[in-house]
Amino acid sequence: MTAASRIPRRSNAWLLPAAAASVLLSLLAAVFLGVVDVPAADVVSVLTGAGSPEAHSIIFEIRLPRIVTGMLAGIQLAVAGLILQTITRNPLADPSLIGVSQGATLTVTLFLLFTVYIFDPGSNTVAELPVAWLPLAGMVGGMAAGGIIYLLAFRLELSPLRITLCGIAIGAVLHAIAIGLIAGWGSARIEIILEWISGSLYARTWDHALFLLPFTVAGLAVLPLIYRPLVLLQFDAPVARSFGLSYRRQFSVLLLVSCALAASAVGVVGPIVFVGLVVPHLARFLAGRHFALILPMTVALGAVIVTLGDLAGRLAGGAEEVPIGVITALAGVPVLLALLRKTP
Amino acid sequence: MPLTCSQLSVRYGPRLALDGFELSLQKGEIRALIGPNGSGKSTALQALAGLIAPAGGQAAIEGVAVASMSRRAIARKLAFLPQQPAAPDEMTIAQLVRQGRFPHVGLFRSYARRDEEAIEWALESTGLTSLADRTLQELSGGERQRAWISAALAQEAGILLLDEPTSFLDIGYQVEVLDLVHRLSREKGVTIVMAIHDINQAIAVSDRISLLEKGELRFDGEPRALAESGLIEKTFRVKGRFVEVAPDKPPHFDVELARITGAA
Repeated sequence: MTAASRIPRRSNAWLLPAAAASVLLSLLAAVFLGVVDVPAADVVSVLTGAGSPEAHSIIFEIRLPRIVTGMLAGIQLAVAGLILQTITRNPLADPSLIGVSQGATLTVTLFLLFTVYIFDPGSNTVAELPVAWLPLAGMVGGMAAGGIIYLLAFRLELSPLRITLCGIAIGAVLHAIAIGLIAGWGSARIEIILEWISGSLYARTWDHALFLLPFTVAGLAVLPLIYRPLVLLQFDAPVARSFGLSYRRQFSVLLLVSCALAASAVGVVGPIVFVGLVVPHLARFLAGRHFALILPMTVALGAVIVTLGDLAGRLAGGAEEVPIGVITALAGVPVLLALLRKTP
Repeated sequence: MPLTCSQLSVRYGPRLALDGFELSLQKGEIRALIGPNGSGKSTALQALAGLIAPAGGQAAIEGVAVASMSRRAIARKLAFLPQQPAAPDEMTIAQLVRQGRFPHVGLFRSYARRDEEAIEWALESTGLTSLADRTLQELSGGERQRAWISAALAQEAGILLLDEPTSFLDIGYQVEVLDLVHRLSREKGVTIVMAIHDINQAIAVSDRISLLEKGELRFDGEPRALAESGLIEKTFRVKGRFVEVAPDKPPHFDVELARITGAA
C-alpha cells in the first residue's frame, strides 16, 4: 500500500466543463487568429452578419471549413485510437496499426497516378486532377486494408497480438508499395501526395467537412452502445466471455467502427500522426480511474488538439504553413514521454 | 440437475487433453477436481463453461446444451473464474464487480435497484465493501483474488466454476475462500466445481471429488471412498497415508517426503 493511494480521491466534476470550455476556446482562437491579419472587431462583425466581403470570405470560406474539418477528423482519429488501444490491449495502437493509414496512402497514390490517364489533364496537371475524390479513394483504401488485416487475423483466431502483428506486416507492405510508386512515377502529383501524406488541413472546404460529418455523427451516436463491450474487451477473451460478452462479435463491431472512423478521417486530412495515439493516453491520464469519463474526454481532446495543432502550424509557417501532421508529431512525442513517466 | 456433461472430450491439436469426461452435479454440491499438473482440470472447467468447443460429447446446464446457448444466457446460469485473470491496473474493485452484472443488464438496460443490491451483496460477501474504490493495482494478492470472486458472485449464477481459487494465497486467505465457497453452497444453494491442488482442502470442503489423470477420469465419488481407494498415492506418485482426525470428518492425507528422507 503506497502513501499516494491513501490521498483522498481527487474530484473530477470540473473535468467535463473544462473540456467543453477548451473546445470552445480553441475554436475561437482558431477563428480569430490566422496568417491574414483580420482585426478582432472585423471577425466579430462577420460573425454577427456584417463585415467586409474579404473578411467574410476569409472566415467562412477558409478558416471555418478547415477548423470544422479538423475538429471532426480529430474526434474520429482520437476515438478510433481509443477503441483500438482498448480492444487490442496495446497502448501503442493507433490507426496505422491496423493498416488504415498505409492502405489509404496506397490508394491515394494509385488514384493520383491513374486518373491522369482517365481524365484528360490540361496544361496545368495539378489543377486539373480530380482532388475532390481523394477522400473517398483514401477511405476505400483504409477500409480495405483494415478488412484484409481483420480477415487474416480472423482466420488465425483473432487474438489481439495477432491483429497487431498482421497490421504491422500488411501496413509495411502497403506503405512500401506506395512509396515505390511515388518514387518511380511521381512528377507533379508528388506534391499533392506529399502534402496529403504529412497530414494537412490546407485548403479544406465545407465539402470535406460534409464528407466527414455523417461518420462523426454516426460514430458519436454509437458510443453509448459500445461503451459496455469496450469495458469488457479490456479483459482476456475467456474472462470477457465468462461475463457474458460475445467476444468475437463485439470485437469485430468495434474494429469496424474504429476502421470506419479512422479511414474516413485519414482520407480527408491524411494520416495525422500521433493524434490517435496520444489523445487517448491524455484522456486516460486526466480521467484517472473514472473510466466513464475517458470517452467524452477523448472526443473533446481530439477536437482541441487538432484545432490548436493546425493553428500553430498556420501561425508558425506564415504563407508556407507547417502541416498539422508535422506539428502533432513534433508535439506528440514529448507529451507521450511525459505521460509514460507518470504511468507506473 | 444444474450441470452435467457426458463423454466430454477436448483436443488440442493432436493431443487429447480431456477424454470422455463425465460429471453430474446436484444442486448446492461442492465438487473438487483434482489431478496432477496437465491432467485436464482447467480444460474440463473451460469446456463446462462453453469456452472451448469440445471434440466430442457435450456439457449441459439444466438439460440445455451449453453449445446452443448465447454467452449471456450461459453467464446468467454459470460463473467461471479462470486462473490468475488479468484486468487493467487502473480499474477499481467496484468497476470490476459491476462487470458481473453484464449478463443481466446487457448492452442497453441501465442498472436497476436489483443490480446495485447484487453488487453490494457480492462486495459484502467477500469483505470488500470498504475497499470498493481501490484500484486493483493497490491490492494484495488475496484481496485481488477476492475481488474476482466478488465479480463472479455479482453474476448471481447458480453454478460457480473456480480454477484453483486458493493458489498463490497465504493459508489465511485460502481458508477464507474455502469458507466462502462452503457458505455459498449451504446458504445460497450454489453448485460449485473447483480445480484445486491441495488434496486435504479438497477432501475437507467438497461433497464429491473427481480425480483426473492425463485427461481421463480415474475416480468420481465421496472423499472417504477416494481415501480408501489408494488412487491418490498412485496418481500423484507419492507415499503417504490417511489419518483419522475425527470420527465424523473425512481423513487427512499425510504425505511422506520420500525424496528427502531417501536422500539423507
